[in-house]
Amino acid sequence: MSALEPYVEFARKAFARESTYRVEVFTNVGSLLLRVYLLRSLWTALYRQNAAPPNIPLHAMITYATVALLMSLILEIDGTRAIREKIREGGIATDLMKPISLPLYFFSDGFGQTIFHAMLIVPSLLLALLLVHVDVPSPGAFIAFTLSFGVGYLVNFCLNLLMNIVAFWTLETFAIQLMVRWASDLLGGQLVPLDFFPGILGKIVENLPFAAVYSTPLRIYIGELPPSEWAAAIGGQLLWLVLFATIASVVWRLAERRVVVQGG
Amino acid sequence: MPIIETRDLRKVFRSVKRTPGALGALRTLFTREYVERAAVEDVTMSLEAGELVGYIGPNGAGKSTTIKMLTGILVPTSGTVRVAGLVPYLERKRNARNIGVVFGQRSQLYWDLPLIESFELLRAIYSIPKDRYENNLADFNELLEMSDFLRTPVRQLSLGQRMRGDFAAAMLHDPRIVFLDEPTIGLDVVAKEAIRTFIARVNAERGTTVILTTHDLADVERLCRRIVLIDTGRIIYDGQIERIKDEYGTHRTLVVELCEPYPGFAVEGAELESRVGPLARLRFDRRTISADQLIRRVTENYCVTDVSIEEPELESIIRRIYVEGYKDPAVPATLSTPVR
Repeated sequence: MSALEPYVEFARKAFARESTYRVEVFTNVGSLLLRVYLLRSLWTALYRQNAAPPNIPLHAMITYATVALLMSLILEIDGTRAIREKIREGGIATDLMKPISLPLYFFSDGFGQTIFHAMLIVPSLLLALLLVHVDVPSPGAFIAFTLSFGVGYLVNFCLNLLMNIVAFWTLETFAIQLMVRWASDLLGGQLVPLDFFPGILGKIVENLPFAAVYSTPLRIYIGELPPSEWAAAIGGQLLWLVLFATIASVVWRLAERRVVVQGG
Repeated sequence: MPIIETRDLRKVFRSVKRTPGALGALRTLFTREYVERAAVEDVTMSLEAGELVGYIGPNGAGKSTTIKMLTGILVPTSGTVRVAGLVPYLERKRNARNIGVVFGQRSQLYWDLPLIESFELLRAIYSIPKDRYENNLADFNELLEMSDFLRTPVRQLSLGQRMRGDFAAAMLHDPRIVFLDEPTIGLDVVAKEAIRTFIARVNAERGTTVILTTHDLADVERLCRRIVLIDTGRIIYDGQIERIKDEYGTHRTLVVELCEPYPGFAVEGAELESRVGPLARLRFDRRTISADQLIRRVTENYCVTDVSIEEPELESIIRRIYVEGYKDPAVPATLSTPVR
């Protein structure tokens, strides 16, 4: 209990810190609404051109795009981004002088920010409903979606952590970040459902780790995955989570060793 | 038993040797030559609990490298180190509970949040019991006069206020040892004095062991009885400040204010250092002539309105030691051994 106290406190501070930037919040909600509207127009136009896959009707597609956008509000928060700054400015040394686990610190800091942004999602969603029609899933599907989203969130954290740990070896991580971000947005199903990928390519991307972040929860949400496949889908996500959490902790230990041996 | 003990502590950094030019850059991609540089060499020292020691050296002498090894964020290349019974780099987190750190150049406070919230965060990090946290906070609040800005976001604090906050932050968990790295850098006279008073009181009242790294030797002169001088990774002096002053401060300066513009002003046994208007500065060796004798010689021959004696500052002594190396006058021909 008390071992977790610092991390609960980190999350609370991150929450408080986020809420000091109020203007940013409103502009974020504004741009979000604009994007929701644009996506609806885009997909409506594309569907008129018969670009649609047979298993996703237009209303499900608009739901998919809107929910994906709201998810990105949470998933694009990257608490581990601070690692780069801390390494560049040397703050990592003072952090290591504290009796805490740094990866857990970054996680709880990001989590605190997440909670704050998650609170914005409810009003954003309600406003979005004025612009577009979003399907409401069954309670069972919603629970499965939430669970799957939670696992996806953790996978996303591990991927972010891994990307930022690279900064321990080279300070120039921006290009890597950008590439991984694009790959995960495109191959993870944030921009378009993976059903749009043709043939064998579709099979491949569905089995990439990126799918565990956006695609799996979204497919549960829009009902593309029947309840009988939920457990297997979430199980698959969990496998990725275990894999990446293991890799991240190994790489973290190497990074820490590098600091303590080479002096950063 | 000493609270800090190092024996033959050594840290060698290895970096890739870079060859200049585009071709050279290409070559470093394939063949790697390494350059080794010892930042700290054979540092052996021991501190008793409750000591307040100045750890002095020019830039790049190895001060921060030593501190990093003592705080457990750097692994020594060889030698041993123990801090409060722990080997810091093997038990970084446990060691962290025993130590507090203040960097004058870098704040550890939460930039966007009110000062008090950083303190609360530290309470959680170190799991400080509530009553002790509140006692300490009240204490520091009084000593450092922080009540006016406890609720101000750290980014809006002045440097002096921020440093006071940083000091409280480093001491909240009652560390047995604090490392202070340039704690008064950039502060005005009043703020400097407040910080110095705080350090002295914490050391005296709480028995906290303090290692003070600074370039401001006035800090050291005011606070420390013992100094450890380090240069190019090696300890060149370890002992009382008074002793170093006695040994090196063999020369004093007598400043006299003359009532008439004596053109050929000179006094036997002293060297005329400078002469500005009525003020003449006479440098003398107190082993060959006493101040009393010198003053008498001056007043016998000249009309004088005022006299004063200047003692050499620690700063000029230490500057001399860096340039000449430390030589123990008691044992001339041999190199000094650190005194403990």
